[in-house]
Amino acid sequence: MRRSGLGGQYLAIAAFAAVCLLVGWLVHNSYYQLIITLVLIWATAGVSWNMLSGYSGMISFGHAAFFGLGGYAMTIAFVQFDITPWIGIPLGVLVGMVAAIVIGLPTFRLRGHYFALSMLAYPLAMLYVFEWLGYQEVSLPMKREAPALYAQFSDPRAYIALALLLLVVCMIVSLHVERSRFGMSLTAIKQNEPAASAAGIDAWRWKMLALIVSAGMAAAAGGLYAIVLLVVTPQTMFGALVSAQALIIPMFGGIGVFWGPVIGAAILVPLAETLNAQLGNILPGIQGVVYGLAIIFITLLAPEGIYWSVRDRFGSRRAAGASKPSIARAAAIPAAAAAQQFKHPAAGGEALLSLNSVSRAFGGLRAVDDVTVAIKAGTIHGIIGPNGAGKTTLFNVINGFLRADTGSTTFAGSELVGRKPHEICRHGIGRTFQVVRAFPRMTVLENVIVGAYVGTASNVEAERLAMSARERVGMANEQAHAIAGTLTTKQLRLMELARALAPRPRLLLLDETLAGLSHDALEDIVAIIRQVNRDGVTIVIIEHTMQAMMKLADHFSVLDHGKLIAGGPPASVVKDAVVIEAYLGRKWMQRAKDPVA
Amino acid sequence: MLKIRSLDVAYGGLKALSDVSLDVEEGQLVAVVGPNGAGKTTLFKTISGVVTPVSGEIVYKGKNLLAVAPYERAKLGIAHVPEGRQVFASMTVMENLEMGAYARRDRQRRSDVLPSIIETFPILAERRHQLAGTLSGGEQQMLAIARGLASAPDLLMLDEPSMGLAPTIVDTVFDRIEYIRRTHGLTILLVEQRVAEALELCDRGYVLETGRTILSGSHDVLMSNTEVQRAYLGS
Amino acid sequence: MEALKWPIIDFLQALSTGLLVGGTYGLMCVGLGIIFGVMRVVNFAQGDFMMLGMYVAYYLVTGFGVLAFLGPYAGPVVGAILAGPIVFVFGWLLHRFLISRVTGARVVSADAEGHYMQLIMTLGVALVLSNGGLILFGSLPLSVQTPLSRESWEIGPVFLNQARTVAFVLAAAFAVGLYLFLTRSDLGKTMRAAADNPIAAAYMGINVDRLHRFAFGLGVGITAIAGGLIASSQSFQPYIGFDFVIVMYAGVVLGGMGSILGAFWGGLTIGLVQQMSTLILPYQLQNTAIFVVFLLIIFLRPQGMFGRVAERT
Repeated sequence: MRRSGLGGQYLAIAAFAAVCLLVGWLVHNSYYQLIITLVLIWATAGVSWNMLSGYSGMISFGHAAFFGLGGYAMTIAFVQFDITPWIGIPLGVLVGMVAAIVIGLPTFRLRGHYFALSMLAYPLAMLYVFEWLGYQEVSLPMKREAPALYAQFSDPRAYIALALLLLVVCMIVSLHVERSRFGMSLTAIKQNEPAASAAGIDAWRWKMLALIVSAGMAAAAGGLYAIVLLVVTPQTMFGALVSAQALIIPMFGGIGVFWGPVIGAAILVPLAETLNAQLGNILPGIQGVVYGLAIIFITLLAPEGIYWSVRDRFGSRRAAGASKPSIARAAAIPAAAAAQQFKHPAAGGEALLSLNSVSRAFGGLRAVDDVTVAIKAGTIHGIIGPNGAGKTTLFNVINGFLRADTGSTTFAGSELVGRKPHEICRHGIGRTFQVVRAFPRMTVLENVIVGAYVGTASNVEAERLAMSARERVGMANEQAHAIAGTLTTKQLRLMELARALAPRPRLLLLDETLAGLSHDALEDIVAIIRQVNRDGVTIVIIEHTMQAMMKLADHFSVLDHGKLIAGGPPASVVKDAVVIEAYLGRKWMQRAKDPVA
Repeated sequence: MLKIRSLDVAYGGLKALSDVSLDVEEGQLVAVVGPNGAGKTTLFKTISGVVTPVSGEIVYKGKNLLAVAPYERAKLGIAHVPEGRQVFASMTVMENLEMGAYARRDRQRRSDVLPSIIETFPILAERRHQLAGTLSGGEQQMLAIARGLASAPDLLMLDEPSMGLAPTIVDTVFDRIEYIRRTHGLTILLVEQRVAEALELCDRGYVLETGRTILSGSHDVLMSNTEVQRAYLGS
Repeated sequence: MEALKWPIIDFLQALSTGLLVGGTYGLMCVGLGIIFGVMRVVNFAQGDFMMLGMYVAYYLVTGFGVLAFLGPYAGPVVGAILAGPIVFVFGWLLHRFLISRVTGARVVSADAEGHYMQLIMTLGVALVLSNGGLILFGSLPLSVQTPLSRESWEIGPVFLNQARTVAFVLAAAFAVGLYLFLTRSDLGKTMRAAADNPIAAAYMGINVDRLHRFAFGLGVGITAIAGGLIASSQSFQPYIGFDFVIVMYAGVVLGGMGSILGAFWGGLTIGLVQQMSTLILPYQLQNTAIFVVFLLIIFLRPQGMFGRVAERT
């Protein structure tokens, strides 16, 4: 989260706008005025790209699709139906948003390079289609009677004002997104999508929303671009260079922050345009070379863009002192009262989570084989077994990351099989991971708040929940603004625990929370887990550290090769011959019985 | 042949190994056992070079192994049979073996290798042109070991050969390991979770727990030690 | 029956042209398949290396006339073949100084951001190459002149353009040669091993980083040869790379990402689709047909014909 307040950012935007207007008014050469307009338009295109790709990490190589559709919607409306661009551009925005839904629905199911490649295909396909439709070159008609009605101005500075207006609107939208639950969710998705899902975030919904907003912005930029250029061709609207610019400008300037595209456009657009004007005759294509070199240098030297490199150099990213006023309010809740809130009625002895004949196989390997177990409310239930026994797979099935092939999983009466991880979280099951899945670039507090979102619709309430969750696990206040990537193992584990606890779940799935800890850290965390359990949270924990488990768990279930081979109180389970054999091998048992040899 | 001293390794953000020391004499089978998360696989990865230690030293045949690039270590005679087998699934059994023999290009003729390997693993002989990905788990494990042998190593490192295999197959695999030990006279470093099999075969053993050596000794000492059971089951 | 005659002939013609074109597409895709299969790098610049191959062939044969002594028949063929090693060296150097900074053994198992960095870097390279090409070579469409491009062999009702046929034969020959290389030679097998399982390959003592460099050079070199072969049958200009990026990716994805040889069949199929689509679609939309097929494969069967379902993470 950005430390400076909302007001400070507004001020900065206003100052920026003022500077642009001032420069626009001072500059008299119409060519330079055009360059300023282009800077603003491309900055808008960059802000739109950032909206999806910068915030969520879904890198789009095809934003020209929306840019071009917006441009052509406005153009066709204007040229064929005589509709003024004042209406045409919003129309383009609508078209862009619809396209976003049509494109996003199938494409978001893809990952990684498949997503990137399909995004690349869309604008190129559109390019060919529009060429075929006969729109090789469309000129916008000049309206002499009422030019302003058709967004045509004799003074180029009017276009600067128009472009600036659009850019500022987009910047403000971005600003609000960044600071909202929307933005936080996108960042969490970007940094660790499975963790975000397990914490209750509906990744698909947020990504779709980001795409729609992004497409709208890009379409508006495209419409404005068409007005300024006056001649519209498929290449200039859908071409590869358009998508490349929409990507390079924010990546160069600073990814994931709305100032980035502004910086990027302010540097690259004038550079490319000027070089093109001066040397375009001898060196045609110099523009493309500029953008290509820019992105190569940025990937090598400052992969996140200029904004972040400068900011990292001139000050720590997170000022430890600054804090938002709302946090002070939350601290007013006394810890005891906080604990009271979390007590769930102990339904003593009833099964809260039941697995019935759950199986899951990968190819021929049965990772979970016909497992039936009942987890009683209010207990600490340990899942143990040798390496490769299927314990984490079992958790992944309960949690929704994997679908059970057969069998059912019921939680407080509802069937879980077939539900997505974020829905399961919403039902009241929290989860930590074997390898801590933190959001490494967010602060501790932000990490925990992300978990709280599923518990409440109010952002203020989410912060409160986050604060009390952190208190429950004993994380000190000073650490709230430390960046997650800098924490020790113990602190990370506590943070993940807090994040899982924030929405006040009824059941926690803890996957090797104790692994790799020093003796003291182990004792601390065991105590915390016990306390959480006493407050009413049922706990299912996978662990290998036997000594700790013996002290902690009420009940053990032992898995081996995916099958449940034993269950019962810890003391008797570890003496069970079947269990010993699973861990140490049949020959060990034979030797134990037959010590002569 | 292999001397490890005071190895400290941090891996995945955790302290995986703390002050671990180990000796493997020529011709011995040394077992490293311990519960999951004890650091056994990390130990192998450090010897192979996939992971770099924070401090400590590894001396192999008198040479500082840490100074040798990872891909060169195989050529020194260290064969690593990885956890989970990691066969080249899209290549045939023979091609897998040829890849295993890659490291010994400069040392001996490859055609000498194959007959002895096929003798050790007759089941592979039948399937020599089959794609490795279509073999059963046990067959893949044997292929992985054979691939390790194909480089005519001086040190054979086996990482959890029993993992994911049904008990009867595990017996077969260990039977083959014992056979190899008898006939080839190799030095073997074996990491296993299945304590009994490992300790039974070994000359020396080390028990790791949460990255530390808690026990070491000869075969006899370890076989009768209740500490081992406690390390796994806590009682 | 008479009414069917023309459509059948059209169909056969489209089929034959599709096969001929498909052969060169197949070779082009194999180059990309090698790079993706071994390095898991999505190389946006692959089309521009093809473009380089075309221009190298052109300058060898016509521009500087280095190969003029070979005559108008052999010259273009040799020019296309020589484009391979020349572009190989260029690709090798590019990898050494640029691409290896964001790729390599560590990235194969890296997070999503690592993957994106390669994509973005190669996008930058693509921009520099295509626009640099515009600066160096000019925008005038060129082609490698050979009398074969104007002649056709007649087989029944079907015309086989001679230049295309020669290109097909050579492309097929190279594909066979590559197949033999990958299945018979040591280096070929180590490449397949590194593509299959880079971690295990490293345990075998294979220097994966150096292998990547070779694979990159080989991949772009092969695509350049394909380009050189096509150069006699169609005109080209520096931006032609962008047109072919999707064609190549469609072929590789169809063949199965990770399967080097599958890429050949994928490319062949794409060539067929492109030519057969002219039976029902207007000429300008033939590439759109490819995109549609591409998108369909990605959505319905992302592992393609020969690929493995699990993406190695």
